[in-house]
Amino acid sequence: MEDVVFLLLCVSSAAAQLCAPDASNGYKVRLSILAALGDEAYLWNDSEMFLFRAALAFAMRTADGQNYDVSNVLVCDETPRVSFWFVVTSPLNPTQLVERRQVEEAVRKSRNRINSAFLLTDKTLEFLGIPPTLAAPAPPSPPPWLIVFGVVMGAAGAGIVLVLVTSVMQKRRKKKEEQTGIDEVEEESRAEENGTASDGVYNLSFSDNDRLTQM
Amino acid sequence: MGQDARPNWDNPLQFILACVSYAVGLGNVWRFPYLCQMHGGGGFLIPYFIMLILEGIPLFYMELAIGQKMSLGSIGAWTAISPYLGGVGLASVVTSLYLCLYYNVINAWSFWYLFHSFQSVLPWSVCPMNSNRTGPIEECEIATPTQYFFYRETLNISPSIEEHGGVSTGQAMCLVLAWLLTYLFIVRGVKSTGKVVYFTSIFPYMVLFIYLIRGITLHGAMNGVKYMFTPNLEQLLNPTTWINAATQIFFSLGLGFGTLIAFASYNHYNNNFERQAIIVSLINCGTSIFASIVTFAIYGFKATVNYENCLERTRLLLLNTFELAEDSMSFDQVFDWIEKLNATYPMQFAEIANQLEPCNLESELDTAVEGTGLAFIVYSEAIKNMPLPQLWSVLYFFMLLLLGMGSMLGNITAIITPLRDFKVLSHLSDELLNGLVCVFCMLLGLGFTTTSGNYWFTIFNDYGANFSLLFIVLIEVIAVSYIYGIKRFEKDIEDMIGHRPNWYWKIMWAGVSPVVLITLFVVYIVNYIRGGTPTYQAWNKELGKSVVTDYPVFGQVFIGLLMVSSVSCVPLTALYVFCRKRKRANHPKRRAVSTAST
Repeated sequence: MEDVVFLLLCVSSAAAQLCAPDASNGYKVRLSILAALGDEAYLWNDSEMFLFRAALAFAMRTADGQNYDVSNVLVCDETPRVSFWFVVTSPLNPTQLVERRQVEEAVRKSRNRINSAFLLTDKTLEFLGIPPTLAAPAPPSPPPWLIVFGVVMGAAGAGIVLVLVTSVMQKRRKKKEEQTGIDEVEEESRAEENGTASDGVYNLSFSDNDRLTQM
Repeated sequence: MGQDARPNWDNPLQFILACVSYAVGLGNVWRFPYLCQMHGGGGFLIPYFIMLILEGIPLFYMELAIGQKMSLGSIGAWTAISPYLGGVGLASVVTSLYLCLYYNVINAWSFWYLFHSFQSVLPWSVCPMNSNRTGPIEECEIATPTQYFFYRETLNISPSIEEHGGVSTGQAMCLVLAWLLTYLFIVRGVKSTGKVVYFTSIFPYMVLFIYLIRGITLHGAMNGVKYMFTPNLEQLLNPTTWINAATQIFFSLGLGFGTLIAFASYNHYNNNFERQAIIVSLINCGTSIFASIVTFAIYGFKATVNYENCLERTRLLLLNTFELAEDSMSFDQVFDWIEKLNATYPMQFAEIANQLEPCNLESELDTAVEGTGLAFIVYSEAIKNMPLPQLWSVLYFFMLLLLGMGSMLGNITAIITPLRDFKVLSHLSDELLNGLVCVFCMLLGLGFTTTSGNYWFTIFNDYGANFSLLFIVLIEVIAVSYIYGIKRFEKDIEDMIGHRPNWYWKIMWAGVSPVVLITLFVVYIVNYIRGGTPTYQAWNKELGKSVVTDYPVFGQVFIGLLMVSSVSCVPLTALYVFCRKRKRANHPKRRAVSTAST
């Protein structure tokens, strides 16, 4: 009985020594559940912590291939903020910690899965020291502004061409009218020159007024 | 068939709308709110209206009268008033030319922003990724995404005016488009302009109204409106307030450019311009106030959002440092908690003390910005925080475009109308002359799309028109009142509209306006001399903000040239006319021979 208790104490103290704030092979995790979910926020309790350890074990398995278990993920220094430190022990040797870089790689690889397990995002589930990989830039299709520009430019160009063409046509029509107008005026003046005898103005002073002036 | 009769506006409404479209421009949106903020909020309206009555409306009336009476552009009209004064018209044309060169660049920017609004994520709301994909671009991180988008992606600005670079293709394309549209609107002169102004003058009001509703319903808008309208009557004792009010009325109404003379020259002889002058001036001022309410509602929204973001960041910092539960502190308890934590954990608090930002709503509201900074940086920042930002962005930049285009129509007409009056050019068709002027201005305007182009733009904006306009309008009012004579002017007006101008107008023209203008002129010169080396704001990409820099020597020389070139037209033309008259007087024999032969 005492052996079992002694063993348990040893293990827990060993665990306590392995996991500590600012541990060289550990990472600090911070969750902002209220910020992410607002009214639908869940309470952080031991079950959630169990889920975290399981998710992390899953991430290590996916990256490493070795059979990591929930017991390989040690957590300490929990705060009301919902932040804590964790370290990962090797499944082959529970007193040996897994290298920082390996943990980082594993977390990076499965970041999405870990995030979705908690309904959080890269910003609200922070692994301090592991910056999130940023999304790939959009493929360089023709930038949308060029398309709108092309449409407006085309419309403006078409408008100008239309206006210029109509004004040229109007000018031609005017010239033709002017031409016919000048021809008509010329004809009239020619007629006047020849037709004075028959188209003259009746001049009253030379009319026969004898009927009226006779006494 | 004789010479074509002078074209006319289809109806007086077109004339009014053209004047409104010209006078109501970008200055109403980005200069007046700034002045209101600087000079005591609601109290600024007092000097503004007083100056409107003392110089704004009388000078507006005078320019319309001259244009309608002479039925000529500015050069012809002033030559008709007195042959020695043709230079005044020429100075107006030169100033309008400078304005045309740089004004369409603003329209090009509006186009650029408008086209970039058709995206799911507005490009000025997020920082683009750097080439390593490790984080956002450094310049964008230090500054804000809106500033980065304006200075880097729009202008691609160089660190100072001395460093030149190539033409920015996007900008150049937008400038070409702006000029194409300008040409399309003026291609047939008044006939085409008259139809366009229905849209360019009325649509901005619709957008402003929509924005007013949107603006007032925004969170925190009332902070801005209250801040703006709280009158600070002490500012009225400051002479700068009155000077700025006078200058603002002056430039807002567009006096001295020759546009009003040009527009009025297309009126029928008996058009009643007295009523129209008062209507347009009042509409212009009303629009300024209306636009300021909208601007300040949006200002208040932006300031409140920034303030709350600042509080949120502070709250997060405190939560993370002291490992407190998330729901223990709401963001309006931040200041109380700061004091509490400082008292209980002074050591830990001291560590983060330098990371704590001072969050102050007043100082956010105090950041007064004017000009392109307000329109393209501050406003776009406010828009990106609104729900459905693409719609608001499109509406806003479309409105800016219409305001700018409307003013541009007036500016170009001020150049083309006097040119048309010259016999040498009158045989060119409308379309050809307008096209030549537009192409000329466009090619020169491409210089403003280079990497240092924005600094040259600022030179033109600050010095191209202000001094010459004061001079031009001063000469105008003195010429009409004393050289042409108030009595003759009265008679002309009676001839046109049927009654003489009453005593108010005459006192203003002959007495008050010249005094106000002389004061402005003197104060401007004194400030310029006392101000020392002129400076400009150069964008420093390492610091991520604008730095005050002195103009180099060639810059100062250019400023001097700009100011002198338009002003010197007046004395030079008078001299030229004087010499020509003397030459004619010295050859009387020739004249005797010519009269005998006719």
